[in-house]
Amino acid sequence: MEDHVSGLSDSEVVVELNRLFAEEVEAAIRYLHLANAVRGVEQLIAGPKLREGFHETIRHAEIIARKIRELGAVPSLQLSLSLPATRLGAKEAFETALTFEEAALEAYQDLLKRVAGNVALEEFIRSQVAIESEHVAELKQLLAD
Amino acid sequence: MQTWKEFDANIVTHSAAHHLMAIDDLVRRLGYARVSDVARQLNITRGSVSITLQPLKKAGLVLQDENRHLRLSPAGQKLVDGIKTKRHVIQRLLSELFGVDGQQAEIDACKLEHLVSNETARRMISFLAFLDSDRPAATEFLRQWGSFDLSCSQ
Repeated sequence: MEDHVSGLSDSEVVVELNRLFAEEVEAAIRYLHLANAVRGVEQLIAGPKLREGFHETIRHAEIIARKIRELGAVPSLQLSLSLPATRLGAKEAFETALTFEEAALEAYQDLLKRVAGNVALEEFIRSQVAIESEHVAELKQLLAD
Repeated sequence: MQTWKEFDANIVTHSAAHHLMAIDDLVRRLGYARVSDVARQLNITRGSVSITLQPLKKAGLVLQDENRHLRLSPAGQKLVDGIKTKRHVIQRLLSELFGVDGQQAEIDACKLEHLVSNETARRMISFLAFLDSDRPAATEFLRQWGSFDLSCSQ
């Protein structure tokens, strides 16, 4: 079905949502890996924050999957991920998290421009932009000092 | 340094080489390359692209401007040009000289292109130049090679 308001057809919206779905699932896996790659005393500091990131990004992925289902489609996922068995410091882990959180934020911001006019979707993407912006700001703050 | 350590220390991994070549290709075709364009071209997430690009940026191979447009630095461009040349040379050796199927030659060249040293590549190019020449020795070599049929079982 064509959504003439935003200019994107439902199938095009599904393609875009699947991209976001992949971003969120991959980010969740990365958070899980980072949470376990930080060892020793630094694990006490960074572990809970990184696990919180894991739970939150998985929740985002679930929300996107629900949006895809609402459009009558089934989420599709293709990931290419190789995470090395390397110990990381808390700073390095947060820097990595900041890198993929910024990428996710940009993905939401780009889609927001493309769905202008589709009120429901626009509202959803806008709320995700707000949440992702908070994550990015929080990580930047953690890395500031 | 031991060879396997040198292999592991190579910043230009197979994945990194594809990221660099994607940037080169996008800039040539579109005039710009963003993280999202690289992600679409390689069919991976933006997060993955951003993470792979981090060490390449730190090494000064990839530059990003205030509009978040990516481009190769002169060093990055030199590296990509070298990789492309090596791919072409390896592909020619495998398909034209060794008789490997074209598609397989392309796959194997893709796996080796970023690992072969410049010195080895130069020798390969010299060898191809020799074969391309009209020297009687080159013609004779190709004739002998073409009629030589030693299977692995022998």
